[in-house]
Amino acid sequence: MAYTLDFSTPVNSALLIYILYSVQKIVFPSTSTPKTIPSEFKHGYSWMPKEHPPTVLFKTYTPKTLEPFNGKNGGRILLAINGIVFDVTAGRNFYGPDGMYGNFAGRDASRGMAKQSFDLDMLTAIDQPLDRLQDLRPDEIENMKGWIDHFSNKYIVCGKLVENDAA
Amino acid sequence: MTISDYLVTDDLTVLLGFIGVSVFLLQNLYKPQPLVHPILLGRQSDAGRVRNPGESAVYRNYGTGLMGRFPVRPDKDVNVVTDFVKPEFDAPRTLWSTKITNTQLKARVSAFGSGIAKLVPEDSIVLILLNDCIEFIITDLALSEQSIASITLSSPKLLARVLEMHPPNAIITDKTFLPHVLKATSDAHERNHALIVVDWSQPSEILIHSWNDIESQGKVPQAPKNAPQPGSAYTVSFFETPSGGVQCVQLSHENFTSGVTAIKALFPSTINISTLDTIVSSHSLSTPYGRAIAYAALFEGASFATLPSTGTFHDGDTPALDVADILSATKFPIPSPTVLFLKPEHVQSLTSSVIDRAKKSFLFPLAWRHKFASLTEGFVTKDSLWDRTVFGSAREDVLGKMADTVKAVVISGGLLPSDALVPARLALSIPLINTYTHGSATGPLFATHAFDLQMLPSSSPATEPAHVGAPSVNVEAKLISVKDNVVEQGADPIGEILVRGPSVGNMLSADGEAGEKNAWVHTGKTARVMTNGAFKVLGSM
Repeated sequence: MAYTLDFSTPVNSALLIYILYSVQKIVFPSTSTPKTIPSEFKHGYSWMPKEHPPTVLFKTYTPKTLEPFNGKNGGRILLAINGIVFDVTAGRNFYGPDGMYGNFAGRDASRGMAKQSFDLDMLTAIDQPLDRLQDLRPDEIENMKGWIDHFSNKYIVCGKLVENDAA
Repeated sequence: MTISDYLVTDDLTVLLGFIGVSVFLLQNLYKPQPLVHPILLGRQSDAGRVRNPGESAVYRNYGTGLMGRFPVRPDKDVNVVTDFVKPEFDAPRTLWSTKITNTQLKARVSAFGSGIAKLVPEDSIVLILLNDCIEFIITDLALSEQSIASITLSSPKLLARVLEMHPPNAIITDKTFLPHVLKATSDAHERNHALIVVDWSQPSEILIHSWNDIESQGKVPQAPKNAPQPGSAYTVSFFETPSGGVQCVQLSHENFTSGVTAIKALFPSTINISTLDTIVSSHSLSTPYGRAIAYAALFEGASFATLPSTGTFHDGDTPALDVADILSATKFPIPSPTVLFLKPEHVQSLTSSVIDRAKKSFLFPLAWRHKFASLTEGFVTKDSLWDRTVFGSAREDVLGKMADTVKAVVISGGLLPSDALVPARLALSIPLINTYTHGSATGPLFATHAFDLQMLPSSSPATEPAHVGAPSVNVEAKLISVKDNVVEQGADPIGEILVRGPSVGNMLSADGEAGEKNAWVHTGKTARVMTNGAFKVLGSM
């Protein structure tokens, strides 16, 4: 029985061309490197992420400059305890405008943290000097320090709070 | 003709179909697997979330993490430097030309320690001016055990200044350098010290003790008065900065145990150091890093030797850092080297020799193409078809027996140009670990992943050196003098490197005052941080 070997049929030619092309790619692999570095690991082994991981610049805030960061326009939420400013944007549920502790957003929350109260009278007005916390009992100071530890572990320390005219 | 006339198939079609399918599968499924998954190379360091103005965030190794504690010792029982010589491990290994077991080494160390304790008072300072040899290690371990402070210099030019600032109670040197020492001490009008010389046998009019005599005097061991504490400093190293200034750093036992931990962490578990290894180093024992490499070899029970180019105290020029220097390690009676700690010049010279040899084969262009293609996929091996035909014989011609046994090369002590990296990876086909070291630290400050084979072109128009990876496992680093506005836009921070960690020693001021513990150390080099957390050291400030 004779086999029909006809290279001129289109199907055979197409397959032959494909095979020759693939064999050429296997025996002579490409040595070109891509001109732009891929930004996903799926697109290439030599890849680099597009951006650096986000970092926050440590800034000095006054009560007036801290107040806008109360999350009301979907922005960052900051609050201060004992002169340390924390970025609590991750806790928008608690500290956002609709949250349980929303009173503290953009304000100095030291007295409220010490006395374990979220009332508005724990906050000092923005144009007044900072609350000296002199009339707090030792156990209230301890409570406030405990809250500072909790916040340091959970949120980012991103600044310090100074008097309005000190900045 | 109708469509069906075009699609005529016959037996040849079936045959070609099979061949086509197998070729397709071969091409797509036979891609080599990368040695390390690229997702790990995209996040090599853990960056802090906050940064001070003018600085970058603090970076740590991703494995350690920002909250993790730095590993300080390679094993829980290693607290002081003499613990590196484990007594329970008893097989002999060769250190330079001496075959010695751990118990014999410990005995020699305590003998020399007792001998020298009889010679010099407590709280004395001993200046060690030795080239690398087993006597250096014994002296260093003995002095640390007796809590006698020792001073080492990275270059003989510092001798005059050190004699002036810290007059020693004893100087240990060898026969060839003795005339220089005698001249320097007479220039400095320094008389109150004992001279101990290695290999000294002839009588002389100056009182010179032979090193061997001191060791034999201490045969009845005298226990040290105070047991050394891990945190206590026991040695001071003087080194030169690139601008020509002199700096000195105080090193404690903890610095050295951390340094050995960092050196061990360079090697992943598939290529880690063990008793079967032989380490050859091109870093002098008078530098903290060189000594930490020697201690790592001691701790693991590996044989150890150094290259002739490490000799700092000699006459004449230093030997060139090239292949002949590497091959001279084989003159010692050590087993064939398996791990090489080399400088960039050695690696460049080695690469060009191997490639010149390989070019003589007619298959070289094809072999290069294939190896390069697998390198772009993140895979390289010493046993591929192309190594058996082209590169293997080239390596053997250049390195001799070492070509078979070398399993990793660590590059430190300089900046490797980025265009030398790909040829080196192809020519040697073994893990190349690029590191950055500094005279103040016992371990590498930055190190690449051992299996990192990425080819990343530099993002700036100038050619930059090859990147040195993330901070080492027990080092944290940050950059200062960084342009804030540029970084806030998302560009790479560029600034001077500051480091801190248990392997970084305590820098002494010009008057010899110790700084505060755990302070940031200025390295004097500029670097850029890339988005994947790897650092690129750009050069001096």
